[in-house]
Amino acid sequence: MTNNFELVGIKPTPRKETVQKEKWYKGKPVFSGVLLALIAAGCLLGGLLMTEDSAALNLQNCGLPPNGEFLFGTDTMGRDIFSMIWLGGRVSLFIGISSTIISTITAIVFGALSGSAPVWADTILMRLTEILFSVPEPLLVIFIQAVLGEANVFSLSFVIGVTGWMSMAKIIRTEVRQLRGSEYVIASKCMGGGFFHILKKHLAPNFISSIMFMAVMNIRNGIMVEATLSFMGIGLPVEVISWGSMLSLSEKALLSNAWWMIVIPGAFLVATLMCITSLGNDLRKSMNRGQGYF
Amino acid sequence: MVKTAGRKFLELLLSIFFLSVIIFYIARLTPGDPLISYYGERVEKMSPEERERAEERLGLNSSVSNQYLRWLADAFHGEFGISYKYKMDVTEVIGERIGNTFILGGIGFLFIFGGSLLLGILCAWYEDRLPDHMICKMGTAVSCIPEFWLSLILILIFAVNLRWLPSSGAYTIGIKRSAADRILHLILPMTVVVAGHLWYYAYMIRNLILEEVRTDYVLLAKAKGLKKRRIMFRHCLRNTFPSYLSIMAVSVPHILGGTYIVETVFSYPGLGTLIYESARYKDYNLLMFLSLMSGALVILCNMAAQVLNERIDPRIKSENMGKAPEGIGL
Repeated sequence: MTNNFELVGIKPTPRKETVQKEKWYKGKPVFSGVLLALIAAGCLLGGLLMTEDSAALNLQNCGLPPNGEFLFGTDTMGRDIFSMIWLGGRVSLFIGISSTIISTITAIVFGALSGSAPVWADTILMRLTEILFSVPEPLLVIFIQAVLGEANVFSLSFVIGVTGWMSMAKIIRTEVRQLRGSEYVIASKCMGGGFFHILKKHLAPNFISSIMFMAVMNIRNGIMVEATLSFMGIGLPVEVISWGSMLSLSEKALLSNAWWMIVIPGAFLVATLMCITSLGNDLRKSMNRGQGYF
Repeated sequence: MVKTAGRKFLELLLSIFFLSVIIFYIARLTPGDPLISYYGERVEKMSPEERERAEERLGLNSSVSNQYLRWLADAFHGEFGISYKYKMDVTEVIGERIGNTFILGGIGFLFIFGGSLLLGILCAWYEDRLPDHMICKMGTAVSCIPEFWLSLILILIFAVNLRWLPSSGAYTIGIKRSAADRILHLILPMTVVVAGHLWYYAYMIRNLILEEVRTDYVLLAKAKGLKKRRIMFRHCLRNTFPSYLSIMAVSVPHILGGTYIVETVFSYPGLGTLIYESARYKDYNLLMFLSLMSGALVILCNMAAQVLNERIDPRIKSENMGKAPEGIGL
């Protein structure tokens, strides 16, 4: 029996070809992410697993090159570099993250304050910070540390945090200046919303995406500044192990041509910084540009 | 025009004044004994009376505010006091060193200035093709290497192992000073200063040009049948030039800060080693002068960038002051 209702003239549609599903990690910095996760995990777990005395002074094993017992060699004080890398990494990463938290909060509060203030107050605030930031950094660091007492992980994060919020505050300030005249901010103000309420509910959601990238870069900067300060001898003392303070022994290492004392901590430092940078760049890529006319 | 210039000048003076107050107080309130840098170890054996006399001689016995007023009055007469450590006039101490820093930082700046423009154009020309990718990747990688570590690695390779280049100082001690010797000592520090900044600024210039390439007049020029080279060099570059100059103005303090770090690693006798020393050992007069000098330079460069930006685009009046990377600007 033929089907009376058979439709004629309809082209039999070919079965839809299964589209190769885009892998979620396409174009993402997988390698950097994994490497960073490995380093971070190593620092967290390696620090717990390792016994403290592997990083303690052992004067019999001064300046040994990498070998079976000491995988990365020992430094001029006879400490095992392999365990110091993991212990020091914890400190370096902690300083990077905590200084970023401090600088981001300062930048948000200051930028929003300056952006919502009247023009004259805004000018004064911006000028003052500019002047404050042309004070040479070693002086500022030495001063703040003198006030806070002996240099330790927390005082150093504080120093790096309070000296690194300027450019972020500028961006927030510009955004706030554009937003503060908008209806919803005025409405909120009329209904009695306080400064922090407006900041949290209305301003922050607007500028948070534009400072995400900068926050990631601040982590990177924090780690880098810590290393530089410790290397120059005004950051962490040699006893507090971090990647930077490990490098502060490099002058002695150069004399004895102990390359492992310079190359190994530095390589970990640079690898971590590169991973963070490529993650940050990936964040920024969301702002796509159009095609050029060429 | 004259009015604006006058106002800017006043602003600059006011900024420097505030800066001097801040530095003076910070330096004096930080604990530490300035007498050590003048008398050295002898300080510990001094009796209280001797100490008092010494402090009086150096003018350290009155209150901080009084000291500041005295310093200010002297500064207006062009006298900035003596350096405690070198026992010489501050200006003389700095005069000996400033040439060295100027050579390292100044020539380095010129290299960065020219090189970043060239690389930027190259990148924009080959946008999203191999040279562009390579230069950008290189830039990202180098920006992650701290300057001091790059210096250490270069010293390790070229000075310690290959023994081709000297690892520290500006001259070989004991031989007659010659230009060749000088250049040999400059190669490594200069490499670090230039390599540390070149890529970042090349990347900024690339982005500037690429933004320009996406404007309508380029489409028009293209439609009229102009050659790519002509559009790029006659039209785009010309329009990006003011922004390029303002970026370069902001870069001066950053390059100077980088120079200071490089100087300390290479023990190069310049201002960087001096400023670090004076902050550490409370050489007040020297510290004041050096801080004011680099502070004034920072403020001046920011101002120049701001003026340039306002010229290009009157809408931004006092909006943003140019962007530069956060670094450890000494």
